[in-house]
Amino acid sequence: MANSLLSKMGALRLAPVIFIQPSRTTTSKHYIPKYKKQRAQKYLKVELPNPNEDIAAMGQEKIRQKMKERGLLPPRPWMERPFYISATGGVFEPYVPPEGDGKASLVSTTRAKQAVQLLEKKSKSMMAIRKIKSFEEEFDQKEFVQQAQNTYIKAHESLVSGDSRALRLYVTEKAYPEFRFNSHGKTIRWRFLESLEPPRVVHARCTDVVSKENIYGQLTVRFHTRQTLAVYDRFGRLIHGSEIVAKDVLEYIVFEKHLSNLYGTWRIHEKIIPDWAPPKQPSKLTRVMPEPEPEPVKVAADKVESVEGKETAAIADK
Amino acid sequence: MNQLFKRLCISSLNSNQVQINNIHTGITALAWSKSDLPRKFLLHNKKIYPPQSPEEEPRPAFVCHQKTNIKYSPLKLWYIACLVRGMTVDEAVKQLSFVNKKGAVFVKEAILEAQELAVKEHNVEFRSNLWVAESFSGKGMTIKGIRRHAKGRMGEVRYQFSHYFVRLEEGKPPADYYKVNPQTPQQQLNNWLEQMRKRKIINSY
Repeated sequence: MANSLLSKMGALRLAPVIFIQPSRTTTSKHYIPKYKKQRAQKYLKVELPNPNEDIAAMGQEKIRQKMKERGLLPPRPWMERPFYISATGGVFEPYVPPEGDGKASLVSTTRAKQAVQLLEKKSKSMMAIRKIKSFEEEFDQKEFVQQAQNTYIKAHESLVSGDSRALRLYVTEKAYPEFRFNSHGKTIRWRFLESLEPPRVVHARCTDVVSKENIYGQLTVRFHTRQTLAVYDRFGRLIHGSEIVAKDVLEYIVFEKHLSNLYGTWRIHEKIIPDWAPPKQPSKLTRVMPEPEPEPVKVAADKVESVEGKETAAIADK
Repeated sequence: MNQLFKRLCISSLNSNQVQINNIHTGITALAWSKSDLPRKFLLHNKKIYPPQSPEEEPRPAFVCHQKTNIKYSPLKLWYIACLVRGMTVDEAVKQLSFVNKKGAVFVKEAILEAQELAVKEHNVEFRSNLWVAESFSGKGMTIKGIRRHAKGRMGEVRYQFSHYFVRLEEGKPPADYYKVNPQTPQQQLNNWLEQMRKRKIINSY
């Protein structure tokens, strides 16, 4: 009776807008209310599905009830856990780059401490390289370093071209997600200009995983190069760096090889970022600072919900 | 006749819940069936545009969003979709809150969701700096029901669902989106002159 006298003249008219809406001026109601029921019977009741049902908010019991109604079986739980060991999960005894790349004043306390530690670490590196040579007879540091630089360039090029299959050849399983992190939907322009200093091995370690014979080798290589980098977002707008301005880059890259594997290769495993590294450049993208969220007020509504949940459970079991 | 009608109706209702020897036939297949939701419109969100040089005007960001299978007629939804075209987001939301139709709620929701997406995922800085570049409705699924007519006949009732699509673009909206403002006589003359000068005379050269 949307158009009746009551709603027009009654107190309802003074109610706030929410209660009145949607109000109609023309009605599709029949002028004889007597056969309302019979007219309704002309239409067969059809239960319409609700395609936009929020399953996440429905609760376990409600989902169970719905599935029972439709005769659906619950999905088979996936119990297996993929396990892949062709790379270790981290860097063991990571290299600590000396303060200021070895050029800081000898008087500084950290530099002095590091100088002492360096000696014992060097002997360990020698042992590790000897171990690598026992697996890889023709291992030569000079040759390896060139090969490492090649891998370094190839890995970056395949990242730029978006060739994820090629990237897997140059990067271990651990480094792969770190490499591709945040690169989705972006265009990267990267160029390797030149090597300012010849790359050199600064650190070497070997370790065994699970069994004694299963050995991994890790070599840290110091690169000092000139590169250009520019990152564009999805719409081709510059977000980071520049294609023209070249930068000197000093990096300590860890390469890893599964030594016991006959077909293992040296691949990029991690990048060591020293504490004294200069801070990152801020992004060119600017954002509006989000307002602090108001503290949630606790309502007694939680109790009501739990009672409802129990009721549905009872229905489902019937 | 009435009995026949009743039986027909019952069989048509139960046809998708057939169980033969306790083996589920219809419904279980549904759980693994392909979704028939529109896919192509959202693919615009994945397109990557080539980098621009610093002299070029930065390309405006945009976001495509859709609301699927709304229980509302696509034809009625179209009128609401037309209303908001070429408006800024704030204006569109304001206008929609005064449209006394069920579909206006869905359209408003969709626009607000798209605005949120634009800020979160598509590098849009200011949420108000957006305008409705595209807005249209589409047909969703239709469920057919039955109604009785006189003399044992029956009719078809369509329970229609619809989709709503919206694309928000960064920047200011165009001054005259629907091109309703007529040109001034001087503008018309200039256009005509230019058109005449541009024409090609066949076989002349």
